[in-house]
Amino acid sequence: MQTDRLLLNLTHVTMVFTLVVILLGAYTRLSHAGLGCPDWPGCYGRLVVPVDEGRIAEANQLYPDRPLEHGKAWKEMVHRYAAGGLGLLILAMTVIAWNRRQADGQIRWTPFILLGLVIFQALLGMWTVTLLLKPIVVMGHLLGGMTILLLLVWQLLSLKYAGRSRLPGRMYRWAIVGLVVVYLQISLGGWTSANYAALVCPDLPTCQGSWWPSMNFREGFVPWRGLGVDYEFGVLDTPARTAVHVSHRIGAVLTLIIAGLIALGSIKDSNPSVKQAGVILLSLLLIQFSLGVANIVFKLPIGVAVLHNGVAGLLLSAMGILMFHTRYARDQH
Amino acid sequence: MSLGGLPAWRDYLAMCKPKIVALMVFTAIVGMFLAVPGMVPLDALIFGTIGIALAASSGAVINHVVDRRVDAIMLRTKQRPLARGNLSMESASLFAMALCAASMIILVLYVNALTAILTLGSLIGYGFVYSMYLKRATPQNIVIGGAPGAAPPVLGWTAVTGTLEPDALLLFLIIFAWTPPHFWALAIYRCDEYAKAAIPMLPVTHGLAFTRLHILLYTIVLFLVSLLPFVFYMSGVMYLFGAVILSGAFLYLAIRMQFDHSNKLAMQTFSYSIVYLMALFGFLLADHYLPAAISLYAFI
Repeated sequence: MQTDRLLLNLTHVTMVFTLVVILLGAYTRLSHAGLGCPDWPGCYGRLVVPVDEGRIAEANQLYPDRPLEHGKAWKEMVHRYAAGGLGLLILAMTVIAWNRRQADGQIRWTPFILLGLVIFQALLGMWTVTLLLKPIVVMGHLLGGMTILLLLVWQLLSLKYAGRSRLPGRMYRWAIVGLVVVYLQISLGGWTSANYAALVCPDLPTCQGSWWPSMNFREGFVPWRGLGVDYEFGVLDTPARTAVHVSHRIGAVLTLIIAGLIALGSIKDSNPSVKQAGVILLSLLLIQFSLGVANIVFKLPIGVAVLHNGVAGLLLSAMGILMFHTRYARDQH
Repeated sequence: MSLGGLPAWRDYLAMCKPKIVALMVFTAIVGMFLAVPGMVPLDALIFGTIGIALAASSGAVINHVVDRRVDAIMLRTKQRPLARGNLSMESASLFAMALCAASMIILVLYVNALTAILTLGSLIGYGFVYSMYLKRATPQNIVIGGAPGAAPPVLGWTAVTGTLEPDALLLFLIIFAWTPPHFWALAIYRCDEYAKAAIPMLPVTHGLAFTRLHILLYTIVLFLVSLLPFVFYMSGVMYLFGAVILSGAFLYLAIRMQFDHSNKLAMQTFSYSIVYLMALFGFLLADHYLPAAISLYAFI
């Protein structure tokens, strides 16, 4: 079957762009610029961050509680512009996919899901601002971004290897298990960040000098607190934050074990693509684990924190690649 | 409870350990349903269940007979009919034999010989090998002795299919990995009593800290084993999510136990382990009969 070059290239570009948007989003959040613009979709009522004196005064009058800070406002707006661009790319992709639905006798479903997701991401992006960084919204926004990346990876592979028939190999279901585990661990990581719990344990592997510090899991994992609360810098007390942080650490060890075993199993596979995916997976796992350690040792430097987010996306993608190659495993022989 | 005022049948029933037998029978029934795509043939379901339940009860009675002296020492088991002297050893032994004979007759006549043989093997494994020998011989007693306890789903499976299949052994493996953390949580709680009765349970011989660590290690193994029904195409995505969440909660308790040494938490872990096994097998069953579309089979 012939490869759809246009759609393939567009998917490639969109995929890389998505990773950029994810990194920009992480940078915005981690540099505390998430509320750099207190309104949505504009910034202080304007399409561009106000620069001249008159407009700044006007903006500060509009939101007296949150006077304009240029650095933060720009970070927020750059993320929004980029995300808007990504939305347009996905829209174009969907239109093309729709027009070509008859070309290879099948409808590609990924572009439509992607379009729905990117619209929902815009809404979540709005709610992060209007609901004042509500943790569940922040975490959902992260997971939405990760899912878009994963679907684009999947779409890229299915375009590149169009025509392969489904023949799941021995690691196929392991890859799905790995996907679930990585997703859960990313959720815990998102929850840690959204609740400002990354610095609550300054030491490692112990936390606050103890293997099991005072923790409140019930309080730490309340999914929904009332509206109208400002969640910037967190509302949880130390035991609740510690519970969230330690959960992410336990999850890290568990992910390392399970995903590590899956990677090792894949490396031993006879299919070279699966083997390769296993090697990549194992490397990313070790990098990600080290970045997590570095976050604590160096007290969450912005560069490391953003990278930790980015590599999480790559890890999820690698697991998706592994799943794809085991799903269409023996066809290439 | 009024001493001696209970009717005899209550004593006989108590010797059968109805709660434990109920849990075992539940796993056996799940094994039956998982063995076939549609409905289980009614005769296998009814006679298989009765046969397995009778054999499990017989094993429980034998355990009472064998353990009567130890039971009298331990607070948990002091009230048992034989320990208290309500029933004679002879009548209890006779009762056990009758249960065993009834089970074998039903299984051979109405189910199949393989199930009967495996059931008898498990019965001997629990009633004699574990109760008489292993329990007093080694701190690995309940690890090895977990095998007959893990047999019911396999027995349920063979009752329906008449053959041993790898998928059935997967169910066996789950309960086998589950037994040590389940039982050791209780053993930590009852450590002093086991010591008094001179039974070499792991916390008695190797200490509480060592046992807690082993609970954690076995829970990690259990986490991995609980994923296998999905990995080997026995169950779908719904089971996978259930297993991850249930095992995650078990792991959380096992980790907490390393630092919170209270008896309350040990008991909580023990109680949870029972809920865990029932819920996990519940997920296996629900997933098996879920319409393919909901279970995402079309995609996966």
